Amino acid sequence: MSARKHKLINQPETIVSDMLAGFCAAYGDIARLSADGLVLRAQPKAAGKVGLVIGNGSGHEPAMIGWVGEGLFDVNIAGEIFTAPGPERIVQGIKAADRGGGVLVCVSHHAGDLLNAELALELCELEGIANVDMVVLYDDISSAPKGREPERRGTAGLFFVWKLLGAFCEGDGDLAAAKALAEKARDNTRSLAMSLSSCASPVTGEVMFEIAEDEMEIGMGLHGEMGMGRQKALNASETIDLMLPPILEDLPFQAGDEALVLLNDSGSMTLMELFILYKRVAEKLAAAGISVYKSWIGPYATTQEMAGFALSLCRVDEQLKTLWDAPANGAYMKQI
Amino acid sequence: MRDIGADELRAMLEMVAARIAEHRDILNRLDAALGDGDHGSSISGAFDLAVAQVARLPDPEPSDIWLGAARALMNGMGGASGALFGTLFLKGGAALRGKARLSKGDFDTLWNAGLAGVKARGKAAIGDKTMVDALEPAAQAFAACDNFEGAWRAAAAAARTGAQSTRGLVARHGRAKYLGARGKDHQDPGATTIALIFEALDSYERGMTNGKT
Repeated sequence: MSARKHKLINQPETIVSDMLAGFCAAYGDIARLSADGLVLRAQPKAAGKVGLVIGNGSGHEPAMIGWVGEGLFDVNIAGEIFTAPGPERIVQGIKAADRGGGVLVCVSHHAGDLLNAELALELCELEGIANVDMVVLYDDISSAPKGREPERRGTAGLFFVWKLLGAFCEGDGDLAAAKALAEKARDNTRSLAMSLSSCASPVTGEVMFEIAEDEMEIGMGLHGEMGMGRQKALNASETIDLMLPPILEDLPFQAGDEALVLLNDSGSMTLMELFILYKRVAEKLAAAGISVYKSWIGPYATTQEMAGFALSLCRVDEQLKTLWDAPANGAYMKQI
Repeated sequence: MRDIGADELRAMLEMVAARIAEHRDILNRLDAALGDGDHGSSISGAFDLAVAQVARLPDPEPSDIWLGAARALMNGMGGASGALFGTLFLKGGAALRGKARLSKGDFDTLWNAGLAGVKARGKAAIGDKTMVDALEPAAQAFAACDNFEGAWRAAAAAARTGAQSTRGLVARHGRAKYLGARGKDHQDPGATTIALIFEALDSYERGMTNGKT
C-alpha cells in the first residue's frame, strides 16, 4: 500500500485555514472559528468552570478540532501540518478558554507541543494571567521503557483522557483537581500502534518514510515516527497476539480489571479489518479476565492516509466510568 | 574597534534570512530523513517574517531587533524549532536590553545567553544530535577571539564542523529520537541551520571589512 501524494487541496499555504473554515461551516452548531483562527465551542461553558485548551499540529483530523464541544475541549489551537502552534497563539487560546475557573493546557507529549506550552505559560506569567496550568500526557509504550513513562509520546490513547477530563471540567472541580484527574486517566492508559504503509506530507507531497509492501512497523508515532522495528507483515490475529501482551504487561492490566478499549484507524484501514482485529482483542481480553466496559473503533487521531491502527486500553474505576458515560458533543466525539 | 547598532543588526538578519532561503531545499531534504521534511520551508518563512517585522519597528535599539526576530520565529514557525530558535534570539536579546550599540563583548553575552536558554529549554547537551552541537562550539569560538572579524570567522567554522559532527550521532530529542540508530547517518537540520546563520554573519562581516579597505 502506498502513500497518496496527490491531495485535493487548494494550495499548501492555506491547508489549515481552509480546513478550519470548512469544518466550522459544517459543524457551526458545535464549534466556531474565532477571528484569530481558534476553534471554540459554539456555546461557552458556564462561568466559573475550568477551561480546557489543547494545541496541536494539524494533519491528524478529526483530532483535535473534532473534540471541541460540550463535555470536551473549550478551545483548540490548530498549528500548521504536524507542527505545534507557537506560544502567542496558545496564550490567545488560554484567554479564550478562561471562564473564571482557571485554564488547563493539555499537552500531548511531543517536543514542539511541550516547549511551546512552556513558553506560553511563561508569557502568561509576564502578562499577569493567573490560574493557568499544564498537564503533559503520554500513552505510547513503544517510545520509552517502563519506569521512564514521562519520556513517552502522546498518541491515540489520549482519546480516553480527553473525554474523561472534558466531562470532569463540566463539574465543579477546580484546576488542581482537573489536572489530577488528567494524570489519573493518563496513568491508567496504554497504547501501541502499527503501520503497513507510509503517508505523504500534504505540504511537500513527499512520502514521510519508506516501508516495503510485505512489512509492518510496530510502535508507530502519530507523525510516522518509527517505533520498535520492522518485521514481515502478519495476519490480523497474529498482529493482535503480538501487540496486546506488551500493553497488558506494561500497566499491568490484570484479571478482574475493567477497561475502555480503542482501535484507532490511523487513516486508511477499512472498518472490515478493524472489526476482524477487534474480534481477536475481545477474545484475548476475555481469556485474560479483563472485562471491556466500552469500546470504540474508528479514525479518531489519524496520520493522513497511513494504513495502520493503534490499540489503546484505559483501566477504569467507578469515577472514570461515570465520567465516560457523561454527555459529550464534539463533531467527532459524541456520548449521549 | 567598531560597535554595531540596530540598523546593522537588521542588515545582518537580512543576510541570515537570505542564506537560509538559498538552502531551503537542502534543509527540507535533511529534515525528511529525520523529521517531517519541512524544516527548510518553515524556518526560511519564519526568518523572512522576522526581517519584515523588524523592518517596521520605529527607532529600535539592538535588543528590539533580536526580540522581534524571536517573536517571529516562535510564532511564525511553531513546533520545537520555533520554540528553540525563538529562545536563542529571545534570551540573547533580553541580555542586551538598554544598550544603544553592541561591542564585541556584548555579542559574547548575546550568544552565551542564547546558548544557555536553548540548552535549558531543550534539555539538550553536546552529542545529542541537536542545534546545540553547532551552537555551543560556535559561541565558544566567537568568545575566544577578541575582534569581530576573527570571531565571526572562527564561529562559522566551528558551527559548520559541529553541524557535520551530528552525522554519526544517535538523536536523543525530538522526533528523530524515535528513529534510534536508523537516523544515525543523517546530519541534523537544526544544527545545519545554526551553521548557516553563523556563515551568513561571517560573510556580512567580510563584506563590511572589504568595504572599508
